[in-house]
Amino acid sequence: MSDTNGLLRIGSLTRAFGGLVAVNNVSFAVNEGEIFGLIGPNGAGKTTLFNLVTGLTPPTSGELYFKGRNITGSRPHQIAKLGMGRTFQNIRLFPNLTALENVMVAQHIHTRSGVLSGVLGLPRDRREEREAREKAQGLLEMVNLADRAQVQARNFPYGDQRRLEIARALALQPKLLLLDEPAAGMNPNEKAGLSTFIREVKEKFSLTVLLIEHHVPTVMGLCDRIAVLNFGQLIALGNPAEVQSNPAVIEAYLGDES
Amino acid sequence: MLAQQLANGLAIGSVYAIFALGYTLIFSILGIINFAHGAIFTLGAYFTYTLMGLQFGFNGLLAQQKLPFGLPFWVALLVGAVIAGLFGVFLERIIFRPLRARGADPLLTLVASLGLAVAIVNIIQYLVGAETYSYPSGAALPGAPASVNFGTTEAPVIIRTAQLIIIAVAVLILIVLTFFINRTKTGRALRAVSEDATTSSLLGINTNQLIRLTFFLSGFVGGVAGTLVGLNVGITGPYLGISFGLKGLAVIVLGGLGSIPGAVVGGLLIGIVEALVPASLVSYRDALAFAILFIVLLVRPQGLLGRPLIQKV
Repeated sequence: MSDTNGLLRIGSLTRAFGGLVAVNNVSFAVNEGEIFGLIGPNGAGKTTLFNLVTGLTPPTSGELYFKGRNITGSRPHQIAKLGMGRTFQNIRLFPNLTALENVMVAQHIHTRSGVLSGVLGLPRDRREEREAREKAQGLLEMVNLADRAQVQARNFPYGDQRRLEIARALALQPKLLLLDEPAAGMNPNEKAGLSTFIREVKEKFSLTVLLIEHHVPTVMGLCDRIAVLNFGQLIALGNPAEVQSNPAVIEAYLGDES
Repeated sequence: MLAQQLANGLAIGSVYAIFALGYTLIFSILGIINFAHGAIFTLGAYFTYTLMGLQFGFNGLLAQQKLPFGLPFWVALLVGAVIAGLFGVFLERIIFRPLRARGADPLLTLVASLGLAVAIVNIIQYLVGAETYSYPSGAALPGAPASVNFGTTEAPVIIRTAQLIIIAVAVLILIVLTFFINRTKTGRALRAVSEDATTSSLLGINTNQLIRLTFFLSGFVGGVAGTLVGLNVGITGPYLGISFGLKGLAVIVLGGLGSIPGAVVGGLLIGIVEALVPASLVSYRDALAFAILFIVLLVRPQGLLGRPLIQKV
């Protein structure tokens, strides 16, 4: 398969857990600069697909290319280093680290200080640490959490934890940002604000965004293109209007609800 | 009299504390108790002894042998501890990592580490015998008096130089380790991995590398602790670390699993209480650590400084 087109290319990706095929022969590409939505009924394999792309779950078969590089079988930290950041459906902050520390952990790969030089507090390391702290503080400001930088993450209310998680993912300086149900648990006001926020962040950090979302109006309004999964299979791919009028999609959603 | 007992308790408590740190470091990252830590502790004492160019092996395979060179005590301590640390990394690579890769039950890992401990102790015995080895007197501070009286002639508080060295080294280790974990980049990554290894890896952190580092630190600290005990009471044979292994367990559970301040408080507490046991009851001393543990756990199941365990739904 050609590895020149698309920031992220997913080729015939399959993942089986015992007899259950969670992701079944899925292929699509996410182009640089777009906001790409991944939707589907519960249990359709969306989060499994995220786990495959980020290296948490090895695929049963198929290939993954990121930035033209074959990342099939790469370990999560290697893929993250290439520039892939992610948030979770169930927020996964480090609860006992402060907000600032949570963000700074994600800068680990962008600093060079080693174990020994860190303990000795050599000038280069102290400068590096200070710069990292300033950068992290800047990201916290962007998500309006700067005044609580020293508070442990577990003490933040839900909505703030979501924003902190995004700030942390951005500290990786990713090219591709994966958001797993960013609107989950938000009220309608917050949901409306979220779309604006995602667009702003995307422009500011020149990101490509791949997001899973259940809230249909959010997805339709926000995404350039959408892929629909059902029972692990890709059943539709296209712009919001195309996907919305696709009979297979309508059936999958109505069939799920009846 | 009381001051004397407190001083003795402080010295042995410091060893308990840094011994228990070795458990704590690995527990906080992997959630397992590494029973081989007691054996690494013993190895550390033997490594330092051997590196000083002293004759080792009276009965074992290596009887009447010694290295062709001898290092000064402090250099030998450092090199011995580094070797102990590397040995810990080696065990991680051949035992713990394969088990982790297979998603083995923590109980399996625990039993494997127990087996390792027994194997290492037996290998030591096979190689160098079971005799007591003693560092030469004044090995650490040549020319220093064997003990110092901090009290008066009427009410002496005599602390042996070896005990002073133990306390000083333990304090130094604690300060450096606390600084490393709380104030450096790698320490922060270590804390992140201990909270959530999966998320850490998605943020670009090589968790296997940090686990290796943890085993090194644990082994290093264990090796230092072993040498210090050897300096104080001699290397009393390959089983030196076993009693510490059990008591260390009481220390970390008492202090709170995974808590570094907990390991220190638990270690000092058990050391001091043991030292206060009257001479007539000294044969019950070892039971005391576990009696304290039992009572504390009735009141505070999470240990003195541990966080309450919240069952995830």
